[in-house]
Amino acid sequence: MISLDAPLISNLDAWINVALIKQYHENLPNKKAKSLVLHFLERYGMEHIADKRNAALTNKERFIVMLLRAVMVRNALIVLDRPFMIIPDIQDDRFIYDSLQLISDSFKECHIFDYKWFEDRYGIMNAEKN
Amino acid sequence: MTEFIEKIGKASMNATATFRDILFFAFTILARIFQKKTYNSAMKMVLVNQIYFTSVQILPLFTVLSIILGSLLIGIVLQIIKNLGLAEYLGRILMGLVVTEISPFVTVLLVALRSSSAMNAEIAVMKVNKELRTLDTYNIDVIDYLFVPRIINGVVSVLLLSALFSILALTSGMIFSKLIFGMSFDVYTNVLLKSADIYDIDIYLIKCCIFGFFITLIPIRSGLSASDDLTSIPIAVLQGMVKVFIAIIFIEVLSLILISL
Repeated sequence: MISLDAPLISNLDAWINVALIKQYHENLPNKKAKSLVLHFLERYGMEHIADKRNAALTNKERFIVMLLRAVMVRNALIVLDRPFMIIPDIQDDRFIYDSLQLISDSFKECHIFDYKWFEDRYGIMNAEKN
Repeated sequence: MTEFIEKIGKASMNATATFRDILFFAFTILARIFQKKTYNSAMKMVLVNQIYFTSVQILPLFTVLSIILGSLLIGIVLQIIKNLGLAEYLGRILMGLVVTEISPFVTVLLVALRSSSAMNAEIAVMKVNKELRTLDTYNIDVIDYLFVPRIINGVVSVLLLSALFSILALTSGMIFSKLIFGMSFDVYTNVLLKSADIYDIDIYLIKCCIFGFFITLIPIRSGLSASDDLTSIPIAVLQGMVKVFIAIIFIEVLSLILISL
């Protein structure tokens, strides 16, 4: 679930927000969990944000951290809830699509839910009514 | 008159409901503390961080305060002992007063002022920011991940800091006993060791555990009572801290009654 209704935990570093899922559900040791998260952040060239907290992240960085947190779930089914609300500064879905492509090996399915009036941002002409 | 009685009744019912609510929450937490599955890697990391924030970061301030307060208390107590001619009970009074009564009480006050208020605000903010709901979305139990480590930290921190306070206070007593009674360090240490009773240590341990448990549990419970509104945070913190101080007094009085039985 990637949504503004499921924000990052504000008193945890970005990497802990992501690692938390594996640490809690699979009891992955701290060091392994950190190196796993760093490995994923490297794909986006964002290793430098690992120790930043939610308030210090840009919209794009926040979106990536939320996305990585979602793919930490085993057999992840990703639900993107109004992604343009999380990253209002982008005009089309290229950033979202590219971000998903970089971790396409880590999730099974992805569903995007958004308002009908954003259909042009997705390049869709006949979107279902929301 | 009827209105006045109604008010008393309402206040009593509210107090009873709060008491029952806290006890129920305490039993839930206690049950989780003794479950093996609670102790995962994420929870352990929170526990270590919490102990660092509560017990290690406070050390410089706590040490200075312990030396000042401990010296003051020991100085007064030794002077009274001398005036009343109770020098033969010196060890017993120091062990009974400093170790079992004053050190847990002073420690719990300092920890409550610094950490309980922070925990209360932290949980309330997490509730308002929907962060608790996020954890729930990812099937992370907030009791296991957030509450249990904070409460274990409360118990451990109060135990350790209280022991430090006792050591510092009794050490300063060494200097005062030399000044007031002309007692050598060896004699002073012997007097204390002879007066040390396993019963005092038991009381000390039980009291610290109960104090540590409730001064973290109550703020957490109070933080959870915050609504989705930002303005509910200060109200939750205020109510939580009032309940913490009532609990401290209640536990202290209860322990005194039980000891005197």
